[in-house]
Amino acid sequence: MEETSDRLNPTTDTSGVTPEFDPKTMRSTKPGLKRLFITTSVLFSFLLGVPFLWKSVEIYRSPLPFHDIDSLSDQIESTPLRFPCNLHAVFVGFESKDPDNLRSQIQDGINQLTHQSSQCGSCNVSISVTVQNLAEQCLETLAHNPSTCSYRCGVIIRNEFGVGLDDTVDESLNDVFSGCSENSGKTYSVVVVNKENANGEDEVIKAVVGKRRHAWVVGSGLEERYGDIVARVSEIFVKVFMNGGRDEESIHGEFMPVGSDGKIVLSFSLLNSNPRDWVYDWDFQRIDDALLAPVTKALAPIANISVESQVLYHTPKSSFSSWDEKLQSYIFRTSDLPFFVNSNEWHLDTSAGASGRSKILQFVVYIPSGKECPLLLQLPNGEISKTNGFISPMWGGVIVWNPESCDKDSESPIRNTISPQDLEQIVEIFLGQFRQLFGFKSEAIYTSGLGTYKILPSERGFTEWELDVLSRKHTCFNLHSCSTTLGSLSRLVRSLPRMIIKDEIGEQVKYSLKAAKLAQSNASLGGYSSSASSSREARSLAENAFFHPSIMSVSYFSYEHCFAVYSPFFLPVVGHIVLAAFREWKRYRQEKAKYLTWLTRKKTA
Amino acid sequence: MASLIRSWIPLLILQSFLVAIAFGSKEAEEFSEALLLKPLPDRKVLAHFHFENRAPPSNSHGRHHHLFPKAISQLVQKFRVKEMELSFTQGRWNHEHWGGFDPLSSMNAKPVGVELWAVFDVPQSQVDTSWKNLTHALSGLFCASINFLESSTSYAAPTWGFGTNSDKLRYGSLPREAVCTENLTPWLKLLPCRDKDGISALMNRPSVYRGFYHSQRLHLSTVESGQEGLGSGIVLEQTLTVVLQPETTSVETNMQPSWSLSSLFGRKVVGSCVLAKSSNVYLQLEGRLGHESKNVDTEIEAHKLWKNADFDLSLKPDRVLRESSSLLFIFDIDKSSDSEPFDLGLTWKLPSKWSCQQAPLQATRFLMGSGNERGAIAILLKATESQEKLPGRVVTDGRCTIKANIFQIFPWYVKVYYHTLQIFVDQQQKTDCEVLKKINVSPSTDKVSSGMLEMMLELPCEVKSAAISIEYDKGFLHIDEYPPDANQGFDIPSALISFPSHHASLDFQEELSKSPLLSSFKEKSLVRSYTEVLLVPLTTPDFSMPYNVITITCTIFALYFGSLLNVLRRRIGEEERFLKSQAGKKTFGLKQLLSRLTAKIRGRPIEPPSSDSPAAQSSFLSSKLIFKIILVAGAAAAWQYFSTDN
Repeated sequence: MEETSDRLNPTTDTSGVTPEFDPKTMRSTKPGLKRLFITTSVLFSFLLGVPFLWKSVEIYRSPLPFHDIDSLSDQIESTPLRFPCNLHAVFVGFESKDPDNLRSQIQDGINQLTHQSSQCGSCNVSISVTVQNLAEQCLETLAHNPSTCSYRCGVIIRNEFGVGLDDTVDESLNDVFSGCSENSGKTYSVVVVNKENANGEDEVIKAVVGKRRHAWVVGSGLEERYGDIVARVSEIFVKVFMNGGRDEESIHGEFMPVGSDGKIVLSFSLLNSNPRDWVYDWDFQRIDDALLAPVTKALAPIANISVESQVLYHTPKSSFSSWDEKLQSYIFRTSDLPFFVNSNEWHLDTSAGASGRSKILQFVVYIPSGKECPLLLQLPNGEISKTNGFISPMWGGVIVWNPESCDKDSESPIRNTISPQDLEQIVEIFLGQFRQLFGFKSEAIYTSGLGTYKILPSERGFTEWELDVLSRKHTCFNLHSCSTTLGSLSRLVRSLPRMIIKDEIGEQVKYSLKAAKLAQSNASLGGYSSSASSSREARSLAENAFFHPSIMSVSYFSYEHCFAVYSPFFLPVVGHIVLAAFREWKRYRQEKAKYLTWLTRKKTA
Repeated sequence: MASLIRSWIPLLILQSFLVAIAFGSKEAEEFSEALLLKPLPDRKVLAHFHFENRAPPSNSHGRHHHLFPKAISQLVQKFRVKEMELSFTQGRWNHEHWGGFDPLSSMNAKPVGVELWAVFDVPQSQVDTSWKNLTHALSGLFCASINFLESSTSYAAPTWGFGTNSDKLRYGSLPREAVCTENLTPWLKLLPCRDKDGISALMNRPSVYRGFYHSQRLHLSTVESGQEGLGSGIVLEQTLTVVLQPETTSVETNMQPSWSLSSLFGRKVVGSCVLAKSSNVYLQLEGRLGHESKNVDTEIEAHKLWKNADFDLSLKPDRVLRESSSLLFIFDIDKSSDSEPFDLGLTWKLPSKWSCQQAPLQATRFLMGSGNERGAIAILLKATESQEKLPGRVVTDGRCTIKANIFQIFPWYVKVYYHTLQIFVDQQQKTDCEVLKKINVSPSTDKVSSGMLEMMLELPCEVKSAAISIEYDKGFLHIDEYPPDANQGFDIPSALISFPSHHASLDFQEELSKSPLLSSFKEKSLVRSYTEVLLVPLTTPDFSMPYNVITITCTIFALYFGSLLNVLRRRIGEEERFLKSQAGKKTFGLKQLLSRLTAKIRGRPIEPPSSDSPAAQSSFLSSKLIFKIILVAGAAAAWQYFSTDN
């Protein structure tokens, strides 16, 4: 490895040409490039290899549409979903009213009632008004879209309307408005009938909301106080048809007890807290067939409901109750309710059938033992609860059922069956609790500032307009939950750069976004069921992506692992190469400078 | 939080009750409990809890239940289980002393750990999927790692060797599974009274788990209703068998220890489970009949049976039944109460000795060979004393023979060579066709399926011992496939030896009450026994080895690479000249060192002293030092950054 060109040769060079040649600062030959070339080429080949190495240790991350996710959640936050709804107000027996004027007044009333809460699942209202005068002639103002119901003039006869049972009136109104087209949102109708003041006395205004999508206000002398009537019409629409008659401060509308796969399991348990005192059994199969089947059928568009029942024994409650002398019974208070459910002894959750992401709602009928019979629930105001039950949102409800007599007559316990009448009562309470879990009230009367409305209950548990509210809320809830799930997934993915993301996840996210878009567009077109189903799909896909098992593999491809494997080789080698290249370059510059000084010296000489 | 409600719905169609569809047959779900106590010849006591829950044929299975556990019913519905048995066992059944030829031992002597078999009612192609789903569901239900039976390397599909002939049968066992109270509690949850009341209240966890053997078993079978459009009924049988050692104060070693329920379990029975149709306690005494009269007609004689010279019972039995060799005392615990708890006691007065009926052949299994490469498995069948007396000999072609089925699963990493199968009868090697009637082999596939061996032997009646040996190689596992604590070794599941021509049954000629326990004894059950679990040590690697190898090879490569690079850029002539000049200036060495030191203290570059080149070199040296420090600091900072980032 001897290199002659690099060699400084003081003996030969100093002898002849110039006497000033200094071997320390000058050299006579050009500095060689071989070593510099070798070291730099090695260095560059290493540098070229870095991208390949980087590529080889790279993990697979399916590209997620972060931007779309963000825009979806922004959109859901900023512009709440609104469904188109049509309101058809029919004023019968009004002589001198201009329908356009009435329509704008109703519109004002609705705006006034809704302006502060433009929450998700509310309505985009289009109003049409028909006024039928005493001569049974009609003046109509139709909404912007022409597909609303047409009311055949003169079908409602002023003085014959509203006579008889409310149910039959409701049915007759259904016939009147049966020609409605449903393709652009649901149509709600309010009929105002101004009756002849027959008796001369001031008749009370009667306002009823039916089982379907109709309401009617009947009274006399309405023409004089028509401002009040218009306010009532808009109130019926906003408070009842649009918001389902629920209070804003009750259970928040965002909570829907529906599993992400769109299933609800209603698990009924009869708890005999001490079977040594008495044993009660029930014939739940009949209850299921006769009373619960219509409810589950009615709710089918919103959730797929299945019903289970079991009887459990030796299941004491975990809170204490105290004897009340005045009431001759044991009392437990609302403050004790958080401790009532005994999760140690009540093994309710044994449903293998509801695997997956179904929502299980527990409904518990608790039969107190002889030591605590009768057991009554005291309300905070000191009264005794009429239902003797309570609910826990998203979990279910508890009903305390006391046996008829609390005396143990015989030593050996008798096995009783709860009578059908008692069971009916229990199911009534259950239906009330079930409605409450969905956020509805269970009162037959809705009271507001302007007066009271009678609400006709449906034997299916939920009226049609309530189901409309539910499906609007359900779509909203699903979209909201989908966007939050996708949002947290995107945050998680962005915070962990070494996480493997499989194609499946990427696809699920993509389809979920697609379904969410579809749900939004369907909702704005008024397709209730199609938007509900695609929103459900969006939510379940988002949850599938978030709970994908492969997300767990993050820990196996950490940076530490990479360092541990590659640093023992690359750190020392790179050190060598970089240092060598640096030195060679430095030396080359130094030697070149020497050569240049010698050249200049030679030139000057 | 909870809020209160008011009911509103004005009810509701009463006539719909009239339309309510027929509620199946009016048969109701039934539950019964029983406890069998049995003193064992080796001074121990066997307690066998038996619970039976029957759901009649109905269409609402899995949906509406009164006594029957909803979880089990949903399992049956969802996975279409026709028959299933799951057992959790700790300890080994002592066939010699505790019996091997009675229904109790043939049904409740189970292999260590978890054993699960199930027959499905699905098309052949879906059986494996159903099995996998079932294992997961059971694993959740019983807080055990039954889900390990999901992988196809851990279960097998026996054809005839298991006793139940079905092509939809799957069998798997986990010998390593530790069984404890967390498995018992979910098992008790399936009982309507749990351990709150009735006989199950005796199950005091410390005393149950202190025993020599305990096996908790769950057997369910569906009963076809035979009616069109009606679902099938389910029978759920839950048993817990424990063998306990009563604490004895007697000094006499040949005297059987006296015991009572409270001394055995630390608890008493304070009443029956009110939901049980029948709840009885049975006491079975074996080998008691030789000297007593056959009929118990009179009161005095009946009295003699439970208070005699040999032993005393603390309570009067309600009834006494007898079988060919044993006495059965029946106690009804309905009468007991809080003030008068049921506490059965047995006091021995005279030393007593008896022996249990044993299976025709007693099986043991062991490993042969040494080293981590290969070995052999041997199964040894030894004739027992009671072999001659047993029924069930088959005389074919004038020869008296005993039939024995051997069913064995081999994990794939035990690579068995089936051609090395050797059979010795009374120490003489026999060719296959002499004793081997039937054999079914399904070889294992590496990492895919386990191997299975089913054999039917026909041994002569006068056989003293028979041995079967088979050789194997030990396989290598991938590093991911080693379980935690791999150095302990790998378990080969128990082999099952069954005797197809021998059936055990106990018939007490009981017609009065249909006790589920006694009727299950009455059924003829196949005599079977499980062998020991074998522990095979496999070569286990050092699991940190990959990193060590990486580090060492990388260091060697780096050294080689660095020195090669240094050699490539060496200038030998220059170095020689430099050394020569250095040798000339040796006197300046100290001075130079000093000047460098002072420069370093001052923090200034070295002023050029007399000679230039060493100064230049030293400044280069110091910059090199600084560069090195920066490099190390940079690496440390980068490391810190990435390690905190993750």
